[in-house]
Amino acid sequence: MSIIDVDSISKKYNLSSQKGPQSIKEGIIDFFKKEKKETFWAVEDITFQLEKGDKLGIIGNNGAGKSTLLKILSKITKPTSGKITVKGKVASLLEVGTGFHPELSGRENIYLNGAILGMSKKDISKQFDEIVDFAGGQITKFLDTPVKRYSSGMYVRLGFAISAHLNPDILIVDEVLAVGDADFQKKSLGKMKEVASNDKTILFVSHNLTAVSNLCNKTLHLEKGKIKEFGDTGTVLTNYLSSLQHNVLNIKFNQISDSIGNDLVRLKSAILKPNLLDGQQFLDVRNSFDIEIEFWNLLDNQRLNISLHLYASTGECIFNISTEPQTLNKGIIKAKTEIPGNFLNDGNYFISFMIVKDKSIILYNFEEVFNFEIADYREDTTWYGKFPGYVRPKFDFSIFQQTEEI
Amino acid sequence: MLEILKKIKEVYSEKELLVILAKRDISVRYKQTVLGLAWAIVRPCATMLIFLFAFKQVAKVNSFSGYPIQLVIFSGILFWNYFANSFQAICNSILVNSNLVAKVYFPRLIICISSIAVSLVDFFIGLIVYFILSISMNEPISQMVFLVPVALFLITCFSLGLGLIFVSYSIKFRDIQQITPLIVQYGFFVTPIVYTTDEFSNKGWFFYYNIINPLAAMVEFFRFTLINQYNLFDLNNLILSIISSFIVLLIGLFVFNHRESSFVDHL
Repeated sequence: MSIIDVDSISKKYNLSSQKGPQSIKEGIIDFFKKEKKETFWAVEDITFQLEKGDKLGIIGNNGAGKSTLLKILSKITKPTSGKITVKGKVASLLEVGTGFHPELSGRENIYLNGAILGMSKKDISKQFDEIVDFAGGQITKFLDTPVKRYSSGMYVRLGFAISAHLNPDILIVDEVLAVGDADFQKKSLGKMKEVASNDKTILFVSHNLTAVSNLCNKTLHLEKGKIKEFGDTGTVLTNYLSSLQHNVLNIKFNQISDSIGNDLVRLKSAILKPNLLDGQQFLDVRNSFDIEIEFWNLLDNQRLNISLHLYASTGECIFNISTEPQTLNKGIIKAKTEIPGNFLNDGNYFISFMIVKDKSIILYNFEEVFNFEIADYREDTTWYGKFPGYVRPKFDFSIFQQTEEI
Repeated sequence: MLEILKKIKEVYSEKELLVILAKRDISVRYKQTVLGLAWAIVRPCATMLIFLFAFKQVAKVNSFSGYPIQLVIFSGILFWNYFANSFQAICNSILVNSNLVAKVYFPRLIICISSIAVSLVDFFIGLIVYFILSISMNEPISQMVFLVPVALFLITCFSLGLGLIFVSYSIKFRDIQQITPLIVQYGFFVTPIVYTTDEFSNKGWFFYYNIINPLAAMVEFFRFTLINQYNLFDLNNLILSIISSFIVLLIGLFVFNHRESSFVDHL
């Protein structure tokens, strides 16, 4: 018996009705004219079932309809067509601290927010100390201060603490994990995991794929409002990630006349080849990759070297490496290097390289030849935040007990 | 009809939320004001003084059909303020709480009903002021004072019904926000608030007047419960306005029930 049964739900929005008439004249004309409405299907024909205890991750790009789907599932808005059957008490957390009133004290807001999220007064009173404790000791002093005087961190922590103590059969969560400092994130994800380990059903929207893969047994991949894939988290995430990587890893020119460059040098080919492990389908932080460049040299007796720049997607240069200069004649010249694994952090990168004469004159700059993404990979982790930095090297770093005396 | 009963049951099962939202509105209302709750006294008193000035000093009227002018005006204002404030609060309730409507589901009717609370508190404070005023003028309080809750209930039904009709369309058509203050402003003068029905109760159109404006008979009934020996209240007219209040309330509940699911899409 499924606990949630979603039967081909769709939601349509009228784009034109949001705009409204621009003038009285237009308003009157619109009123009488049967205008052809511009419509937009936020979600279309979504069907899936969940069993009791399932944890569903919902993933997809921005605008894929994730939030609309959650709103429909939590009864905030009605679908245009289709039917949803839900058995049990639902609590939805689409935002941290929903309904907090800035003028009210922390204590009053705990009761207010709890009631809005569907807790009874008795429940809140019973768990009051736990909630305050979870939000952090600092809050205790400010319990009778209006929350408008709280720091934004305290505000968010209190909001999350309340929602962490909800006790519904079905919990709907939207990205609320990305709150607070790293310390608090760890605590809230731990709490989520604790909740996930018992027989509650959870629907969880997130961009954080690491968190989804650790918390959820099923995943729904939405694309442009439709189901792209629904099934086991492992399979869906793998397919999602490989569809995401629009990596430009290979450029080849057969004819010198089609190629890019100038009268001195022209590109023949550039290949970036990830060294994937068995069963792996996309590049992640563990993999090394080879880069091979071939170009046509059109003049004899030139002293050339290649300078390669790797940039982060933000445009900062992460490193620059160059070959030793060589005296080269007309013909095809080849250069290769290997970028090691466990070196770059996860993220988007691009590579440019230039051919330099006599260590000083740039013959040609081949810009953004490669554009690629490195996926995250973590084993056995309780922390799902973004790993900081552009590089993520594995240096030898050890910890041990030196003595047992103090 | 069945659906409306279901909705009312749903609201009843979430009465804790209703109470806590009402408490929120009340405790926030006079935060950061110097006079605080005293504003609930100052406002009706100030309105009454203005009209006293207009009637006594300018128009040279000293009593309405033999009843003390202060009591007639103050009871009228007390009545009108409660109706107007609760009606406007209901009309704005969904927009004011749009953050809740957009993020959590619970019966939306709770928001509308809880928004009456503030006006209710103001009303009771005003009522105490009325009693003090009446005693200080050596005017006995009507023996029908135990009927005040009945009058209050009737006004509440009417303003809730009217408010629900307006709030149902106020999200899609924001024009409603412009209309409600006008209704309150004009309604004040077409309802016997600063006068009594005595002046025109013998006119041929008086019957239709009571049908069009159910508030008129309610004000007179309210005065009957407060002012000693007040006899301008007519039971037939009251029954008319009771019937129309309930019809308005039913229409309000029906329209609201029909429209509430579309609120989020227009916020």
